[in-house]
Amino acid sequence: MSAKVAIAEPIRGRAGAVGRWRTLGAIGIKMMFFDRLKLAGTLFGVVFAVVLGNFQMGTFLALLSKNRMFVEAQTDVDLWVTPPGTRQFQGGKPLNDSHLNRARALEGVAWAEPLVLQTAQLTLPNGGREPVSLVGTRAPRFAGGPWNVVKGEREALLTPGGVFFEDAEREKFGGLNYGSVRELGGRKVQVVGFTWGLLPFAPAYAFAEQTLAREIVQLPADQHTFIMVGVQPGADPVAVRAALQAELPDTRVMTRAEYLHEILVYIVTGTQIGLSFGTSTFMGLLVGLITVALSMFSSVVDNLRAFGTLKAIGSTTADLARLLLVQALIYGLVGSLMGLGMVAAMVSGMRNPQLTPILPMAAFGITVVLMVGVCLAASVLALLRVRKLEPAMVFR
Amino acid sequence: MSDPAVKLKGLTKTYGEGALAFEALKGIDLEVARGEFLMLVGPSGSGKTTLLSILGCVLAPTRGEGFLFSEPLHGRKERELPELRLSYIGFIFQGHNLLPALTAEQNVAFPLELRGYSHRAALAEAREVLGAVGLEDKLTSHPDALSGGQRQRVSVARAIAGRPPLILADEPTASLDAQTGAQVTTLLKDLSTERGHTVIVVTHDSRIFHLADRTVHIEDGRLVPPPVKE
Repeated sequence: MSAKVAIAEPIRGRAGAVGRWRTLGAIGIKMMFFDRLKLAGTLFGVVFAVVLGNFQMGTFLALLSKNRMFVEAQTDVDLWVTPPGTRQFQGGKPLNDSHLNRARALEGVAWAEPLVLQTAQLTLPNGGREPVSLVGTRAPRFAGGPWNVVKGEREALLTPGGVFFEDAEREKFGGLNYGSVRELGGRKVQVVGFTWGLLPFAPAYAFAEQTLAREIVQLPADQHTFIMVGVQPGADPVAVRAALQAELPDTRVMTRAEYLHEILVYIVTGTQIGLSFGTSTFMGLLVGLITVALSMFSSVVDNLRAFGTLKAIGSTTADLARLLLVQALIYGLVGSLMGLGMVAAMVSGMRNPQLTPILPMAAFGITVVLMVGVCLAASVLALLRVRKLEPAMVFR
Repeated sequence: MSDPAVKLKGLTKTYGEGALAFEALKGIDLEVARGEFLMLVGPSGSGKTTLLSILGCVLAPTRGEGFLFSEPLHGRKERELPELRLSYIGFIFQGHNLLPALTAEQNVAFPLELRGYSHRAALAEAREVLGAVGLEDKLTSHPDALSGGQRQRVSVARAIAGRPPLILADEPTASLDAQTGAQVTTLLKDLSTERGHTVIVVTHDSRIFHLADRTVHIEDGRLVPPPVKE
C-alpha cells in the first residue's frame, strides 16, 4: 500500500448535453463505418426505398400532369364551362351556342371562346391510321391553342388545311416533316408547326383552326366541347363562376384551379392509379423502414458487449440513444442523397415526353426529411434493446 | 484517518424470488483502505463477480449497506448509478472489452470525454497513459491489430485515465499467458501505487497473489479465512 502518494479523488466533471451528443455520435459513426458490409446493406435499403418511392411518385405526377396539362397550360382561361358531370379533361354531351352566348352576356365576363376537342384519325403513308386528339381553336385569340411550340407560328393555323402536330410522334405518324401533307379525318391537311411534349394520357394533341377542326370531326358550328371564359380585370373569378353556374344550370362551371383539383381528385379516388402508386410508394418506404430497423437491431445484437461496456463505464441509456439516433440520421441523410442522385441520373437519362417521372424540387427536400424520419423510427427497435441491456453483463 | 475506499456491512444479494431465489452474497462485511491493492479470490460461483458488480455500481444489493468513499451504494436509484461509476470507478474487464471500432487512444479517451474532458484534452491524457503502459507506438491501432497483452494494457490505460479513485479488475489475466498476465498485473500495481488508485482485483490466478497488499477469500457467498497451506 502506498502511503506517500496522493490518493486519487472522485472525478466530478461531466460532459454537457452537447458534449455527450458529440462523443456518442462520433462513436456511433465509427461503429457504422467499422462494419462496412452492414453499412452497405443498410444504405442499400434506404437507397432502394428512395429510388422506388421517387419513381412511383414521379410517375404518378407525370400521369397527373398528362391529364391536367391542357387545363394547366391555359393560364389566361379563368373559367371552364364543361358538360355536366365532367371530372377530367374529356368531352361529353356537346355544349351549344346558347351556352356560349349566355356566358358572353354575363356581367363580369370579358370573353368566352368555344373549344373543340375530339379524336380524329390520321392516315399514314403506308395506309395505316393513328389517332390524334384534335383541338379546334379560334383566331384571333387562339384560346386553347398550341403551346410548347418548337416549329411554326400559331397564326400559321390560318393557312388552309394547316395543322400543328406533336414533334415526339413524327416517326409514329409516318415521318412527318414541316410542310408534310397528310389526310386527317378524310380531309387533306398540311403540317404548319410542331409542339413538344403534348402527350396526354390519350392520343397526342394536334391543333387546327376551329372551322377546319369541325370539318374534320364533323361537329356542327353551334356545338362545342368546352367553353373557355376570361373574366374582366378586377372581377372575382369565383363570384363570376357562381353566377355563370346559375345561368347555365345544365353545365358544370369550374375555375381553372377547381378544374385542376377535380382532375387530381378523380385520378386519386376515381381510378386505381392513386391506390396503385400510393401502395407502391408505401411499400418502398416500408422496405426502407424494415431494412434499417433490422440492420440497426442486428448491429446492436452483434455489439451487445460493446454497448454493455459503454453502459458499464458510465454511459446512460440516453447516451446510447444519442449514438443510435446519430446513426439513424446518417443512414437517412446519406441513403436519401445517394438515392436521389441515382433517381436524378436515371430520370435525366430517360428524358422523353412519353412518361418521364416528374420530380419537383420539393420532392428532394421531402425525401430527405421523410427518410430521416423513417430511419429515426427504425432505430426504435435497437433503442428498446439497448434500454433493456444490463451493464452487469460485462462481468459475466 | 479518512474513511475507507470501500465499506460493506452485511451486504446480501439474492437473485430470483420464492422457491427459485438464490442468495449469491450472504452478509459480506469488508473494508478496503484508500490506496490498497486488494485481491478477491474464490472459486467459480463463489459470488466474487456479484460482489464486483455491486462495487462497480452495475448491480444493486438486496440488503445491507455499502459505501464507496463514504458515498452510499444501497438505496440508490438505477439512474444515479452511471454518475457514481464515472466519478469513482475505472474498469478492467476479463475480455478487455475494448470497442473494436475505436483505436487504442479513442478507447481510452471516450470515458474521459463523458467526464467532461474536451476531445483534445482527452486524447492528450489517453496518449500519456498509453505511454505509461508502454503502448506509445500503438495509439492509432485498432484492438484487432493488437496482441492479447497489448489489449489488456489498453484496458488498464482506459481504467486509470482521468485518475478515478477505484479500479475494479475482473480476472484481468484470464485470457493471458502466465508471463503476460504477471506483466500486466505488475504494471497495474505499479501505476496504481504511483497514481494513488485503490485497486480490487477479482482473480483465481494464484501466480499473481503475491502482488496484493491483501487477499480476501470468498466462498459460497461469504468471506472466509484463507485456506491453510499444507
